Amino acid sequence: MRAKSFVLLMGVAAVLTVSRSTLAHHGTAAYDTKTIVTVKGTMTDFHFINPHVQLFFDVKNDKGEVEKWQAELTAPNKLSRAGWDKYTLKPGDSITASGYISKNDPHTMWINKLIGPDGQALHLFEE
Amino acid sequence: MRRRFSNSMLGMFVALSFSSVLHAQKAAQPSDQAKAAAKGESAPAPVHDLTGVWMMRNPPGSNRGFTNYTFTKDLPELTPWGAAKYAEAKASNGGEFTLKTTNDPVLTKCDPPGVPRVYFHPYPFEFVHTPKYTLMLYEYDHTVRRIYTDGRPIPKDPDLLWMGTSVGHWEGDTTLVVDTVGFNDKTWLDRLGHPHSDQLHVIERFRRVNMDHLELDISMEDPKALVKPWTTTFYYQLRPNWELGEISCSGDYLDFSNFEK
Repeated sequence: MRAKSFVLLMGVAAVLTVSRSTLAHHGTAAYDTKTIVTVKGTMTDFHFINPHVQLFFDVKNDKGEVEKWQAELTAPNKLSRAGWDKYTLKPGDSITASGYISKNDPHTMWINKLIGPDGQALHLFEE
Repeated sequence: MRRRFSNSMLGMFVALSFSSVLHAQKAAQPSDQAKAAAKGESAPAPVHDLTGVWMMRNPPGSNRGFTNYTFTKDLPELTPWGAAKYAEAKASNGGEFTLKTTNDPVLTKCDPPGVPRVYFHPYPFEFVHTPKYTLMLYEYDHTVRRIYTDGRPIPKDPDLLWMGTSVGHWEGDTTLVVDTVGFNDKTWLDRLGHPHSDQLHVIERFRRVNMDHLELDISMEDPKALVKPWTTTFYYQLRPNWELGEISCSGDYLDFSNFEK
């Protein structure tokens, strides 16, 4: 069975390693970029759309409650050049996402690192 | 996805290997290019040819620290007219903004970016040469520039357009010089909001230093907004395996504010 635990990690060092090259039309000002949060979840929807690819997933918190999360990646063009397509993620897939959390919504994330259903890190950069 | 990616990479490798065998029988040059690429070198630039998809790069010592929102570390001296307009600008600077905190006309209204503001989008562009003009296709918002290379002079009384009117000519074998005038004054020069007037004259020198690398010298002259010309150099790398996709501003961008709630 997939483990769906809620994990919170804080690390300034991790922040320093995060590339800003994913910034596209809007910035990360809406996010708390000082903290990296990691969650495990189960995909419920995947939008491979402009300007930023959107992920929707359920996360079971440490109380056993299911939380509805949304997250964004860079533009689909860039992800296409990193090997993605609209079928890369699908409902039911297990993921582990790490990134910045929205200052105004604790369940909205800007993803910096993503582990896919096969346990491998997905390429998030076209370079 | 990873498996699919691996398979596609394997297919690409097989295709390239097969292709290089065929080419090697026809001419030595592709083989030389492959050897150069394997050593991290680049073949000489072709003559009068910028064809292909180019993406910004950041060579060591470049001015990368600020080139995602403006051109130079030291900002330009503005005329009183320019300073007054600049004071109204709310930057879309370095990611530290939301759609509510900036008034960048590109991001908040989907206005065309203008030149050289267009280079502050983190997406590639493509050159397509035709006998009488060269097209620049920017991935961002389907932006197109038509650079006439048929010898016509730069217009003296141009219509005022978002992307201006451009004429180009070659200097030597590998430098395309592009003069652009006839801009409306609705766009910014950069993401800090430096203004320009309809007197803006942009000179771009696209110097293909070798097969894979392009250097772009930009000079902005605008006696109404800038005290003296503002100059910079940007760097680009050929991406032979890339194709331009679709980045449409329209509602896609403006509707995305739900992620900034």
